[in-house]
Amino acid sequence: MSQRSSPGPWFAAPVAIFMLVCFAAPIFIVAWYSLMPSRTFGLTGDLTLENYRSAVTDGYTRPLMWSLIGAATTTLATAILAWPTAVILHRYAGRWAAVASALIALPIFISESVRLFGMSVFMMPRGGILAGTMNAVFDIQIGSILNTWSAAQIGMIYIHLPFMLFPLLLGVSLIPADRIEAARDLGATRWQTFREVELPLAAPGLLIGMLLTFVLCLGANAEAAILGGRAVTVITAAIEQRFNYAQDWPMGAALTVIVILVTALIVLPVLSRLDLNRLTRR
Amino acid sequence: MLHDTTHITDRPVILSLAGLSKTFGTLKAVDDISLSIPEGEFLTIVGPSGSGKSTLVRILAGLEAPTSGDLFLRDTQITQSPANKRPTAMVFQSLALFDHRTVGQNIEFAMKMKGVPAADRRNRALELLQLVRLPEDYYSRPVTQCSGGERQRVALARAFASDPEILFFDEPLSAIDYRLRKTLEVELKELHQRTGRTFVYITHSLEEAMVMSDRIAIMQSGRIVQTGTPAEIYSAPVNRFVASFMGEVNILTLEKDTGGKQVFSEIGQPVQAARGAYAMIRPEALELGPGEITTQLTVTQRLMLGSRTQVHLVSELGATLISELPGTAPELDIGTTHPFSFSTEDIAWMDE
Repeated sequence: MSQRSSPGPWFAAPVAIFMLVCFAAPIFIVAWYSLMPSRTFGLTGDLTLENYRSAVTDGYTRPLMWSLIGAATTTLATAILAWPTAVILHRYAGRWAAVASALIALPIFISESVRLFGMSVFMMPRGGILAGTMNAVFDIQIGSILNTWSAAQIGMIYIHLPFMLFPLLLGVSLIPADRIEAARDLGATRWQTFREVELPLAAPGLLIGMLLTFVLCLGANAEAAILGGRAVTVITAAIEQRFNYAQDWPMGAALTVIVILVTALIVLPVLSRLDLNRLTRR
Repeated sequence: MLHDTTHITDRPVILSLAGLSKTFGTLKAVDDISLSIPEGEFLTIVGPSGSGKSTLVRILAGLEAPTSGDLFLRDTQITQSPANKRPTAMVFQSLALFDHRTVGQNIEFAMKMKGVPAADRRNRALELLQLVRLPEDYYSRPVTQCSGGERQRVALARAFASDPEILFFDEPLSAIDYRLRKTLEVELKELHQRTGRTFVYITHSLEEAMVMSDRIAIMQSGRIVQTGTPAEIYSAPVNRFVASFMGEVNILTLEKDTGGKQVFSEIGQPVQAARGAYAMIRPEALELGPGEITTQLTVTQRLMLGSRTQVHLVSELGATLISELPGTAPELDIGTTHPFSFSTEDIAWMDE
């Protein structure tokens, strides 16, 4: 009967139990709920795919699309902004790199809503910080993009930049300087060096940053609410509405499952290509 | 100042350095270097670490801009042109292989950048694999799976693939173990002879330079102190730095004794017709038994070098000398004193 006991499972047990209770179980309940008849509040009804059918026919593809577009645009924009920033921080900033990184990281410690309301005050028409200053100092009257999708998009880029920057900084630090010199020496232009050497070598960091940003943006709600003024409805807002005002939990659950599946469909292929060992070994 | 007077060649000059200097803060890494490199030469720049040799080759390759001076490829000024615009290729000390690519992709890199069609690239890569003596099936192998020596060859093939007029080598063999290094040195020399390209090789090992080079330039604190063929450097080092760089040699100092006669201060022996302030005598030139200049020396150490024996000696005045003798020299027990001698013909005179 007696087996050789290994400590592994025992040490893993607390986390495993936590994940089971707080992660797997809720997901299972949500998935089960999504198969319940519309507007019911029990888990014992007849199983049905009706909610998924209505999700498509009742126009929930639009909020999902807005969320996907927002996440994709933000991912791309933060990547384009973060690359030169990471390169400058890593190669040229020297002892200022730590200070600059700290300044970039600092806003993370302030509530997202507070920062978004701050931006909202900045963007407000007439009396807002930007428009008011332009008017008072330069006598230039400008409009405002507050309460538009663009404002929400700018907010998303602003909020999520650090989540792209820090993994990318790690990625850029994986590029040995001599590889860039070798590429240049072998006749590569700056662009070719970037594409053939820098990008592939920094890929692990870049991919992690893109995954983080994309997944976070897919679940983002505050930007569209505070800065976008609900000019468009994102999928998170739609789900919230189903659970709260509409009191249609099975429908909310079905939308949640759809988001999880879409996320998995996009994230898993990327994750499988990611060589985490490369990041940790050096 | 040009030191390029000893080497005579009728081949046209491919690369000329005119007063190149590079300053980092207050440090003069490269200090006013002028040199002409003829086409097809195997030139080795030798110097201890910190002598500025790496900075110099990086300037030549276009990876570093000189603070002042000019660089000409034949008659074209290339001082300001970036590395990717120069018809040169470098083999780095770290090799700088693209670890995320295969051997074939590494070799083809330069051709791919030029837009050479894939099929042509492949054919050329296979040729180059043969040139550096790697089997054809290495083509699709990741470089991370290659051994140290194989990686050297891949780096070499990759540099050749850009069809460079000049190849630069920045101490590529310094991290390789002795036996493999010896093999690769010979292969590199053969490769130079077969391809006829101009090689500029950087090393801290004069021994390595002697084996491979047509001509050697010796660098000391940013300056070239001597250039010449290996034989010229060997027989007539220009100063004590160059002489000591060649390994174990005896350097004797000349001074005037009370009677105004010139004597070697280490052994107290007079010498006629001195032609410099210092005399270099090779260990094999310091022979057992009396001769032209004879001195009594006591054996302090005996080392077998295979067919030769090296003995460490101390003079009555306390100076250490080294002698290498054929055979086992059985009579030279530690602690015994014997007459040793050398001839003035074997002295290389130096002024500083």
